[in-house]
Amino acid sequence: MDLLTLIVFLPTLGAVACLVTPRQHIRMVALAVSFVTFVLSLTLFGTFWAGSGDVAIFGEHYGTLHETVRADWIVGDRFAIEYFLGVDGLSFPLIILTTLVSFLACLASWNFDSWKVNRGPRAYFILFLLLETGMLGVFVALDFFLFYIFWELMLLPMYFLIGVWGGPRREYAAIKFFLFTLGGSVLMLVALVAMYFFSDHAITQAMVEQGVDVIESGYRDGVGVTHGTFDMIELATNTAIQGYFGAKSTLFLGLRFAPLMFAFLFIGFAIKLPIVPLHTWLPDAHVESPTPISMILAGVLLKMGGYGFLRICYPIFPSGGYTLAFYVAMIGVVSIVYGALCAMAQTDFKRLVAYSSVSHMGFVLLGIAVMTKSGMQGAMFQMIAHGISSPMCFFLVGVIYERAHHREINRFGGLWLTMPKYGTMATIGFFAALGLPGLCGFIGEVWVLLGTFAARDMFPWAIPMAIVAASSVILTAGYILWLIQRVYLGREREEYKGFLDASPREMFVLVPLAVLCIALGVLPMQTVFNFTNGTLDLMLAQVLSGAGVG
Amino acid sequence: MNFEQLSMLAPEFTMLVGGCLALLVGATSASQRAQLVSPLAFITIVAALLMTLSLGTPESAQVIPGLWLSSLTFYVRCVALVVGAIIVLVNWHQPTASERGEYMALILFSLLGVLLTASSNDLIVLFFSIELVSIPTYVLIGLSREDSRASESAVKYFFLGALSAAILAYGMSFLYGAAGTTLLQTSGDGASIAAWASHGVMSGTAIVGLLLILAGLAFKVAAVPLHVYVGDVYEGAASPITGLLGFVPKLAGFVALIQIFSACQWDVPDAAYWAIWAMAAATMTVGNVVALLQTNVKRMLAYSSVAHTGYMLVALLVGPMAGHGPMHNGVAALLFYIAVYGAMNLGLFAVLSAFARRGKPIETLDDLAGLATVSPLIGLATAVCSFSLMGLPPTAGFVGKLYVFSSAFSLGAEHAFQKPLIILAVIGVVNSAIGAAYYLRIVASVYIRESDESPTPVAGHPVRWGIALCSIPLLVLFVWPVGLLDTARQASVPTNAPVHSVKVVEASGITSAPNTTPPVLLNEMPFAAASRD
Repeated sequence: MDLLTLIVFLPTLGAVACLVTPRQHIRMVALAVSFVTFVLSLTLFGTFWAGSGDVAIFGEHYGTLHETVRADWIVGDRFAIEYFLGVDGLSFPLIILTTLVSFLACLASWNFDSWKVNRGPRAYFILFLLLETGMLGVFVALDFFLFYIFWELMLLPMYFLIGVWGGPRREYAAIKFFLFTLGGSVLMLVALVAMYFFSDHAITQAMVEQGVDVIESGYRDGVGVTHGTFDMIELATNTAIQGYFGAKSTLFLGLRFAPLMFAFLFIGFAIKLPIVPLHTWLPDAHVESPTPISMILAGVLLKMGGYGFLRICYPIFPSGGYTLAFYVAMIGVVSIVYGALCAMAQTDFKRLVAYSSVSHMGFVLLGIAVMTKSGMQGAMFQMIAHGISSPMCFFLVGVIYERAHHREINRFGGLWLTMPKYGTMATIGFFAALGLPGLCGFIGEVWVLLGTFAARDMFPWAIPMAIVAASSVILTAGYILWLIQRVYLGREREEYKGFLDASPREMFVLVPLAVLCIALGVLPMQTVFNFTNGTLDLMLAQVLSGAGVG
Repeated sequence: MNFEQLSMLAPEFTMLVGGCLALLVGATSASQRAQLVSPLAFITIVAALLMTLSLGTPESAQVIPGLWLSSLTFYVRCVALVVGAIIVLVNWHQPTASERGEYMALILFSLLGVLLTASSNDLIVLFFSIELVSIPTYVLIGLSREDSRASESAVKYFFLGALSAAILAYGMSFLYGAAGTTLLQTSGDGASIAAWASHGVMSGTAIVGLLLILAGLAFKVAAVPLHVYVGDVYEGAASPITGLLGFVPKLAGFVALIQIFSACQWDVPDAAYWAIWAMAAATMTVGNVVALLQTNVKRMLAYSSVAHTGYMLVALLVGPMAGHGPMHNGVAALLFYIAVYGAMNLGLFAVLSAFARRGKPIETLDDLAGLATVSPLIGLATAVCSFSLMGLPPTAGFVGKLYVFSSAFSLGAEHAFQKPLIILAVIGVVNSAIGAAYYLRIVASVYIRESDESPTPVAGHPVRWGIALCSIPLLVLFVWPVGLLDTARQASVPTNAPVHSVKVVEASGITSAPNTTPPVLLNEMPFAAASRD
């Protein structure tokens, strides 16, 4: 069995194993499975370690993949859905991030028995592992249809994990999460089907133009309709398809195809990212989720939106991205500022961290929208950095919630004195979220801002946007410093005196994340950029030429 | 007519004999014998199914005047009998023992009506077949439980059903007037509606006839604006029989529509096209929006059944002309979808009938609360069926929706109705997102809500088997839809090739098997000349 299939479906096998394991050992099985998956995903490094230069790792052109698997899945009369997996610089770091965060979240679920829920651990860990399969599948699938299946598959376990094991308003939060995501994926489905048939038209048209007989060449297979393709790399690199998709004369319901499809896909992914004003599911889902699920939600699920932009929206519809760049960037800046302002107004600890996610993901959107090298690189880095710092922040909230049973920021104070180890970790985590130089949050934001400035020749509005985004860093510093002051500094409070410091298990979750926060901040090239930049630059070059500006 | 020809009708005869036997056994007073009725009905259906399979796909031919067997007959037989067997399982203990003979016999007769609908070749036979489907259902609703609401809904359903039958017959008379024959198709040169339709433009009389037929059948399939009865009727009948009501008349109605449209060479006049278009859009939207407002699960599922009719109407409108790949052919998509719909809808009604709360059958969302803790497996089945109705992977409902909507997308730019159909598909896709909201409330009740008094299981083994047989195939068909799809695709090839294409084939010297030749496919070739204007 090939490596990627194993990585994706090992958690599913683990879920099956959890079905028959005795109750007291279930969490052990789940932890072991998620650990083995993590180790297996690390072996992917072997593929990339050999070369040191950026481009050499990924080959000379966009679409060079590693570890590819191709097999027919649903193949019928003139249509083909493939089981097509592969890794490149876009998906590789996200796969590692997913397995790491899943492993740590599984460890964070270790004290399941002390949660005040009346459902057993069996279903919880089964759904947890199925969720991991869904997430990994989204990142490795290269057939759009398969991608869509995994995208929807991950929705179901998440719905139950929030809905069954969540807080008091869990039903509301779970349904809201589900409906928002489904609303987006419905638009994605329209785009999926439309792209399939339009790619068919494109290929046929190219054949007719070249004078190839569509019937004799076997493509058309006698009578009837041909088939298009769901292959995302093919859709992005086939010149016939790209030409047809981008042409002004290609219409869908009377509107230009590329911008319309771009908008459909954009909304689908942006809901997940999330963007203002489609972000309202996020605070609710976070507040009601159990801690490990919040970690996964913030650490991995939000990244799927950004990954969707980089994998599908921009490479396949470059002209759409170029036409709508202003609106996309504007939404990004609004998300940055609005998220930060909302975070500042929160009194609930977890809700504050949730809104800070909205703000941070705004940088991802801005970086992608400006279509410059450093912008894209920064957006990718920001996704990874946020994938490390935000699970850490949510776990920090979880640790204190378990002891205090409330999350009111104003009722805390002086926790650093009571819990010195925990306080130190909290400082690292929140400073990383703040974007302090030397920690991971800084690099991504700076790269995005540099990229935005660099786009000034292409987009006249880039500089004002960069200025607004850069100024919002003050807001971020404001709410995080104020938070640290209210929760961790100040005089020790009587009611929290008896609190135990972070346990070894909790430290085991926090320390790797803290180490990564520092490592990414100090060695950004060696940890992230070397792996992602090659693919990103090649993709960007192609996007720019596709949009007619390169 | 000889024995060989009659033997091709073996499934129908089996159902007839089985139904009569059920009546006889049920009429005996001993209650032990009444216990034999349900197994008898089940065995009858299984036997009919086995005969269908052993007969295989019949060569399109007229067996006796008025009946024409085709690949469509084969497909409908299989689907109706498989789902019918599950319906019998779900209804196993439903009526009181003294009435069980009549009850099971009526179910068998109603299914027999569906089988005949799929093989009728004459407007009159078609009408009788549809009435054979409907009339038993009126009685079944009344028999299903001792509740005044059941009687009320039986009466309502009967009066509206009688009205719709009258409209249907009236429409058929117009069609007869225009075509001069009631025969749908012939193998030779004789007069038939198919031959008439392939010759010329439809007259106003024929269009009125088609619209009236559409209206009459819209009642059977529960399409807006003739859907108003569903809420009350579904709520009044006992849950197991509601599962039947959601499937059997719908299947019969759609099969009849396919029969009539394919007799008309799928050359639907613009007026009828727009009528169906508006009907489909309204049916999807009204069904979903009204379902969203319900708290009674049975009413919710009633309106959900209206919504699903809307999706199927989209596929019907696309027709088979777009090509014969499953993502292109609307009729194949419709046939696939209705089979999947039968299973998922019946599964949920079976779940409702398997539990009681405070000694009463389950009706509202509150009644379902805590079901998953009482019975985790049935809870899982409920989730599978709900997600399938929602159209979410990994269930067959997703595959079905994909085929329905992609068939609407697949028409070439030269097709006159390309844009309206894409708009319709987009309306449908948006609707399925709206639909998710209320199906999710069912899942939320089952899994998330807690209740002081959880539902208690009341069902015997047959009902549990029924639930399993509804939900497990939904998962299997997601991973492996190809088998059912291929059968649906074969069934969607029009039962008779259009006369003009037959002539072309004959002229070129090939005379064999015109029935398996797909119709002229010019209008799907994106760069061929427009054939529809």
